[in-house]
Amino acid sequence: MNAIGAGLAMLTALGAGFGMCLATSKAVEAVARQPEASGKINSILLLGCALAESTAIYAFVIALVLAAK
Amino acid sequence: MNVVSILTIILIAVSTVCLVLGLVGFFSTKNKTHNKKGKKKHRLFLALTLFALWLLVGTLISSVYKGKAGLHIEFSLFSDRITLFGMSFAKTTVVMWGIIALVFVMSLIFRIFIFPKFDKTEPKGLQNGIELSVEFMENFAKNSLGDYSDSLAPYMYTLGVFMIFAAISELFGFRPPTSDIVVTFAMGLITFVLINVCGIKKKGVKGRIKSMTTPTPVILPMKILSDVAVPVSLACRLFGNMLGGMIVMDLLKSVLGGYGSGIPAVAGLYFNVFHPLIQAYIFIILSMTFINEAIE
Repeated sequence: MNAIGAGLAMLTALGAGFGMCLATSKAVEAVARQPEASGKINSILLLGCALAESTAIYAFVIALVLAAK
Repeated sequence: MNVVSILTIILIAVSTVCLVLGLVGFFSTKNKTHNKKGKKKHRLFLALTLFALWLLVGTLISSVYKGKAGLHIEFSLFSDRITLFGMSFAKTTVVMWGIIALVFVMSLIFRIFIFPKFDKTEPKGLQNGIELSVEFMENFAKNSLGDYSDSLAPYMYTLGVFMIFAAISELFGFRPPTSDIVVTFAMGLITFVLINVCGIKKKGVKGRIKSMTTPTPVILPMKILSDVAVPVSLACRLFGNMLGGMIVMDLLKSVLGGYGSGIPAVAGLYFNVFHPLIQAYIFIILSMTFINEAIE
């Protein structure tokens, strides 16, 4: 039962992956339009990716807590 | 004789033949690398030699080593404990003391013996690297912290150095200190204290409370909740990433079993060096963003 719960918790990765895909696609568009601003866009993209990834990390921690029993 | 030992003997024979073949080919094509075809052949023989060496070493180790390869790992959220001087410590704490001592001694050696030898007019080599990293950090802090960059940039730099050393300690067989939630939570709490201290120092207690209640006092609970969530989210992000990398490496090692020589080192370049670098960058940039939010 714990293993099933851990697996279900990791479904959150779907949302995180979708969010990161959106952020990256927009960043690629922005760099294509303004290549000279790529440094600034890069740091903002990393920040956004980290924030989007955090939901997946929370799910991962919950899955670990469930699976480590 | 059972099937396994016959297979082992066949594997050893094949890998030895391949090794000899590869070495002979490697040394005979050494002087013929002037054209493209010769170079390709030379590299091909090098690859064959390395593969045969890996196969030979793996087969020898797995014939001696009786542990079973497969998808079974054991991990715990908290580190194992060790008894020192009659007290019980987590192993990650002891590793952390080692890292702190190493960084302290290294910085003393750099300050006393290496920095005075630096050329002020023509930097080169190591000096360039150090100056580049320090300058990068200072500019980074100046852009996002403003007035407090002078006092906070050294702390952030120290944090980055500690996190990178902690991640590299996994390559030496220790459990990295950052994969223990106690350590990451302590680091998150330091950021939480810094946010509030900087905010109160810049605006005063009244200003800090006022910034919590703008535009309406109704959102005060939400603001407090989001402030409390900052250290938790920072700690969980770093902890989850580091533990995830450690589990992937453990899985790789347990799957390869006796053949686990060479390949985990290559994978470790990503999971123990590159990924922790990005995580340290993210931890620092997020801390700076939250502090900046408080002093704005």
